[in-house]
Amino acid sequence: MKKLLLGAACVALSVAPAVADTASKKIALSNNYAGNSWRQAMLQSWKTVTDQAIKDKKIGQADAFTTSENQATEQAAQIQNMILQGYDAIVLDAASPTALNGAVKEACNAGIKVISFDGIVTAPCAWRVVVDFQKWGRDEVDYLAKRLPDGGNLLEVRGLAGTSIDKEISKGIHDEVQKYPKFKIVGSVHGNWAQDVAQKAVAGVLPSLPKIAGVVTQGGDGYGTAMAFKAAGRPEPIIIMGNREDELSWWKQEHAENGYTTMSASIAPGIATLAFWVAQQILDGKDVPKDVSVPFLTVTQDTLDNALKTTPKGSVANKNYTQADVQAILAKGK
Amino acid sequence: MPALFSRAWIWSWLATIVVFGLTLTLTGRNGAGGLAYAALAFGAFSVIVGLGQMLVITLGPGNVDLSIPAVMTLSGTLALKAMDAAPGTAFLGLAVALLAGLATGLANYILIAALRLPPIIATLAASLVYQSVAIWSNRGLRIKPPEALADFATGRSLGVPNVALVALVLSVAVWIVLERGAFGRWLLASGQNMRAARLAGMPVERVRATTYVTVALFAGLGGYLLASFSGGASLDMGQEYLLTSIAVVVIGGTSIAGGHSNVPGIWGGALFMFLVVSMLNSYGLGAGIRMVLTGLIIIGIVIAANGRRARR
Repeated sequence: MKKLLLGAACVALSVAPAVADTASKKIALSNNYAGNSWRQAMLQSWKTVTDQAIKDKKIGQADAFTTSENQATEQAAQIQNMILQGYDAIVLDAASPTALNGAVKEACNAGIKVISFDGIVTAPCAWRVVVDFQKWGRDEVDYLAKRLPDGGNLLEVRGLAGTSIDKEISKGIHDEVQKYPKFKIVGSVHGNWAQDVAQKAVAGVLPSLPKIAGVVTQGGDGYGTAMAFKAAGRPEPIIIMGNREDELSWWKQEHAENGYTTMSASIAPGIATLAFWVAQQILDGKDVPKDVSVPFLTVTQDTLDNALKTTPKGSVANKNYTQADVQAILAKGK
Repeated sequence: MPALFSRAWIWSWLATIVVFGLTLTLTGRNGAGGLAYAALAFGAFSVIVGLGQMLVITLGPGNVDLSIPAVMTLSGTLALKAMDAAPGTAFLGLAVALLAGLATGLANYILIAALRLPPIIATLAASLVYQSVAIWSNRGLRIKPPEALADFATGRSLGVPNVALVALVLSVAVWIVLERGAFGRWLLASGQNMRAARLAGMPVERVRATTYVTVALFAGLGGYLLASFSGGASLDMGQEYLLTSIAVVVIGGTSIAGGHSNVPGIWGGALFMFLVVSMLNSYGLGAGIRMVLTGLIIIGIVIAANGRRARR
């Protein structure tokens, strides 16, 4: 009888964590790269949101660690250190979708929850906060189809070659172009999500291209593309922008001068804070599906002014998630 | 004609002309002007940092500056922050960029000379510090250059990009120093045999110090111009110049073993590096094939350029 009671108590305890206290829990951010404005905005978002969460006693500790060389081996070692340091959860922006799986599995075996976002990992024990990158690509083409009913030539500016994000967005773009036979992708270059790289790549390929009606991009490359068109003395096509402040303010200026209209999309760096709250919810004992889907952030002509107002100069349009936001997203996903 | 082919720089120029011609078969003659202009504008940055890298490599085996990307990023970031897009601050920004170059160059040399670190280790380790200072100083925010400066950096004079004219002036200066000045003789002699140069009474250490400071100054100027050209400094703006700066030197026929430098080859190499990517992009080749072909072509040119010297 006594044993039975003890068993019942254990069951009660294991159900109870839904109201478990996360005030003493420790979360670590394992980040593979800090060398661009998106990552910097991400780290700042993390700090803003987690500092407040610690003050509100929703979490005990939330430390951010960044590897210096953007290497999977280095990040695997970092994760092993985090296991030894006794973190309860690791929020992970991974250098590789597969190369970290070994370290991630070790963490899982040690009872640590691993939540990956942006650069996700495929290890089955980890959670993934994913953006539908293919839809991003499809949305760009759909927008251009609406704006250019007669079709025309498209130029594709891609991201960093060999990354899964680049492949996914590009696949979405190419799949959707199939639906609109009036569109033809006449050129494709890699801009590495950086204005100066995109500017250089586009300038090099422009002399060989016919008239371009629209440019599909991956974010962080729209302004450089616009500069390349300007330098070549070509008419401005509809360039999809990527939520960077310089892109948005260029768009606003062009709109004021000649009514230039386009759209802009990217993932908000604040997705790190979404992953943070997902981790907190998991530690709180909530039942969270392994794949959490989040929308990407879109700016249209109507929301442009507002987006510019809330975007720091030289940074990227952002959204910091709150606990309530994440609870709503998780509730909807069920 | 044989005399011409024995020049190490001729191969990079031949390759440039071939690639230019191959691209023109796609663009038609109308594209020639646009393509040449773009090659000069973007090649100029590779020339500026490539000249510095060439001087360091000329110092002899083991000498190379891997901190060029970080110095470019740091100088560009600090300069644009100092100018803060205010009109009339272009020279202030230039001074800040050059000061950043001077400081990093001196730091590199101190690490190499005082701590006796191999240059590869010293400059690579130092570049982590410079990159971190760049991140810390502005958190990756892109500040626009002052309008007059941006107009200058993206503008042209007599149909030639202004940045290419800056690179040309620097090239002529470096060429004169190397071919006509005592410093050039010392540098080449040090690169051929540092011990012999020292025993011959040459100020070898002063030559090394000057060279490491010069490359950083060039990188600082390159970062300043590149940031003004592309509408702001970003934290990864220098990244691709690590390999490019070395590639243009090697393609251009400068001896990787040191002791021989080649200024015209730097131009050939820089124009080639831009044009080959443009050509492969224009032909619509994927990123993987593009990188493989770029690598193979570079190896081919280096063999052609250096094979000649070996037989000579």
